[in-house]
Amino acid sequence: MEAAATAVVHPRYVELDVAEPRVTERHAAWLFAGTGVALFAVMGLAGLAMRLTQAEVLGLSPAWFYRVMTLHGAGMLAGALLAMMGALWYVVRQTVPLSMGRLLTSYVLIVVGAVAVVAATLVGGFAAGWTFLWPLPFHAAGQWSTWATGTFLVGLLLVGAGFFLFCLDVLMKTTETYGGLLRTLGVTYLRGRDDSPPPPQVLAATVVAIEGLEACAAGVMILVALISRMLDPKLTIDALWAKNFTYFFGHSVFNLIIYLAIGAVYVLVPRYAGRPWRTTKPIVVAWLFTLLFVMAAYSHHLYMDFVQPGGLQLMSTFASFGAAIPVGVVTAFTGLMLVWGSRFRWTLASSLVYLGFAGWVIGGTGAVLDSIIPFNFLFHNTLWVVAHFHTYLLLCVIFWELAFVAYLLEEAAGATASRAQTRLALGGMGIGGYGLVGMWYLSGVLGIPRRYAAHPTGTAGYSLAASIFVIVFALGFLVLLWAFAGLARTARARRYEHVEVTDTWSGGRWPVRRRLDEPGAATRPLPRVTEPLGVVFTGPTQLGLAVAAAVVSLAAFFPQVVEASETSTGYHHLDHAGQFLFGALVGAIVASLPRVAARLDRRTADLGIAAVIAVPVVMMLVMLPSLYGPVEDRPALHFLYHVGIAALGLIIGLGAGALGKVTGRIALVLGVSMAVMYAAGVGGG
Amino acid sequence: MRLHYGEPQVAIGIAFVVIAVLLAAVFVVGWRRSVADVPLERVQAVGYWVRKRWLAFLCALLVVVVGLSLFRLPYASGGTHGRVVTVKGGQFFWSIDPGRIRADAPVRFDVTSVDVNHGFGIYDPAGHLIGSVQAMPGYHNKLDLTFHTPGVYRILCLEYCGLAHHLMQASFTVVR
Repeated sequence: MEAAATAVVHPRYVELDVAEPRVTERHAAWLFAGTGVALFAVMGLAGLAMRLTQAEVLGLSPAWFYRVMTLHGAGMLAGALLAMMGALWYVVRQTVPLSMGRLLTSYVLIVVGAVAVVAATLVGGFAAGWTFLWPLPFHAAGQWSTWATGTFLVGLLLVGAGFFLFCLDVLMKTTETYGGLLRTLGVTYLRGRDDSPPPPQVLAATVVAIEGLEACAAGVMILVALISRMLDPKLTIDALWAKNFTYFFGHSVFNLIIYLAIGAVYVLVPRYAGRPWRTTKPIVVAWLFTLLFVMAAYSHHLYMDFVQPGGLQLMSTFASFGAAIPVGVVTAFTGLMLVWGSRFRWTLASSLVYLGFAGWVIGGTGAVLDSIIPFNFLFHNTLWVVAHFHTYLLLCVIFWELAFVAYLLEEAAGATASRAQTRLALGGMGIGGYGLVGMWYLSGVLGIPRRYAAHPTGTAGYSLAASIFVIVFALGFLVLLWAFAGLARTARARRYEHVEVTDTWSGGRWPVRRRLDEPGAATRPLPRVTEPLGVVFTGPTQLGLAVAAAVVSLAAFFPQVVEASETSTGYHHLDHAGQFLFGALVGAIVASLPRVAARLDRRTADLGIAAVIAVPVVMMLVMLPSLYGPVEDRPALHFLYHVGIAALGLIIGLGAGALGKVTGRIALVLGVSMAVMYAAGVGGG
Repeated sequence: MRLHYGEPQVAIGIAFVVIAVLLAAVFVVGWRRSVADVPLERVQAVGYWVRKRWLAFLCALLVVVVGLSLFRLPYASGGTHGRVVTVKGGQFFWSIDPGRIRADAPVRFDVTSVDVNHGFGIYDPAGHLIGSVQAMPGYHNKLDLTFHTPGVYRILCLEYCGLAHHLMQASFTVVR
């Protein structure tokens, strides 16, 4: 057993004293990774169908091409997100008591969302692209109906809600385990006041959770705005506002998939290098900059929208380039240092991890070039864009997703794939993958537009070459699956022992298979943490300031303010946001009172999570012009409507209060921000 | 439609290939050196020395490249810049008025959309993409350009806009 284990890990690994995963973590990881790989395989076939159509080999009609294109993007998002959520959860739960129930709820939400997307695209014909850029979902050109639009939007809303829930649980538990946000982010360690910072995977998880909450809040807001527009055609949406929030959501979530994955990589590399990946000051600084840059970079999607404020364009230019520095100088660089001269244990899993680093930095280079505004002027929405994001999604994220599956199998089997299988699989996927993206880079240089069902005359050859590379990739992938199957068989055999049983009555003897305990089956208890930890407003000063803010926000109910706000729908929505703020502050104040806070526990935290997810959705939905329009001329009803908005605020305030100091504050700010931002872009009536 | 290698894009593409090959070379060297037995302290001593300089180089590159790029922004600024060409995009057509533009004289494209987002991608007579600007409903994006080469300039849509996105083409003519 020991000898078999050293075949897949570095001999020095046992000296690193790393905790073995629990059985529940393995099962959860398998569920997420399995779903992710299955979605990747199906969506990859959809991608091949599109390339063959552009190569004029396959005859998908434009209607079907754009349906498949929409499905491919949304499906890959859901699959990669699921797989890397499971991987990060698996590695973080070694030290942080993440909730299995909340993880499974996230899984159900995302899978149901993915099924809705499949139904909307393949059955309903929805083909507005996974980016659902307003107002395209409502200009179907006769291709899809309203139900398809609604199903797609609700599907993505469920995906966003699932990821939001995952991020809430991660942030609550990491900050509770490590004693507050600053300590969990390593800031206390950076300032020399702490000599035992959290492991790097916890840093990664915390940053991803914060950014994920922000991104999902933006996503939920824009999706609810579009759903509201579907329910009420009188509602208007500002196109620039919609584009900003759509890309803030989409860009951020796709980026966060990489950062989810790196959390798992922090744990995988030491297994094969026999060197620990410890939290150092450069790693802390890198994650703090990542926290800043990933959110600030999204505006590069709007470089060619010249009406976008110049400050955002400038910020995005620096952030897009800047986001590459932590990767190039710290993460990838440290990974390389750990491998260098380590007598690295090359297995199927470790090879995929190593190749993933190359995909990340090469794809990142293509992205950085595209993020320079004069270059973007020449490359915007050409196939160069498709090239660079496939380099780091296909050749990094998917490689790491597969590396994680290989690791699980190698760990269970105590062996790795044969050298021939590894070479064939990685050779096929490497040559096929880089050939595919190479054709896209070349096509981008030629100026061929992206998202075309039929490419310009005379350029189908590039698509044909790319299709051949996809097939090479697919063959490599099949060899990989073959290797996986072999490892699974070995793992299964290891889980049983053959013993001879003697019948006590007849004296007969026969061999039977007996299932052995899984490695790590003697489950270690999870570390215990208080849930929730702390209250939103701590101490009399904060409570006093919150009461003062609540009193000021009462102004949103004053008849003069309400009347003045009715000069435009936007101002009136802003007034609603003020009422919502009032309720939210009151709720958070109540939840912060010592007597109330003493009653908060895990069950109230679950209710709090439900409140902070559902209430903003309800709050935005009740701002339909057809709902509040009729009550505006009836003062009593109008007042009651405003009280209702404040009541929703009260629920989110109480809900945020049940999530503890860090997560509660963030949830409260996000909930109120959604109300304010909604007012900035949604009008009508 | 004929497409040729546009000069700036080719230069950027070559720069990318050179950087990608260099990065790949680093990983190949890392792979070859992975089986050696080098004490971690030695790796860290050299690695940290390299990393400091690598960080300084990337920061300097950021400042220089982003700084220089700010002098070449495509965004129109100031008052009227020559003749105004009104561009409207719609599913699945372009309306360009006027359709004839004089060479060597500055023009300002005033680009908007009547329905969904579109992308106004301008290809010169040789098929090079010389730039693009988005057409967004409710907004007017202004792009200043001066054309030096007479001929027919083709417009392709560079923002996915629905069923006939790939067919949404138009052209204008630049004359002496």
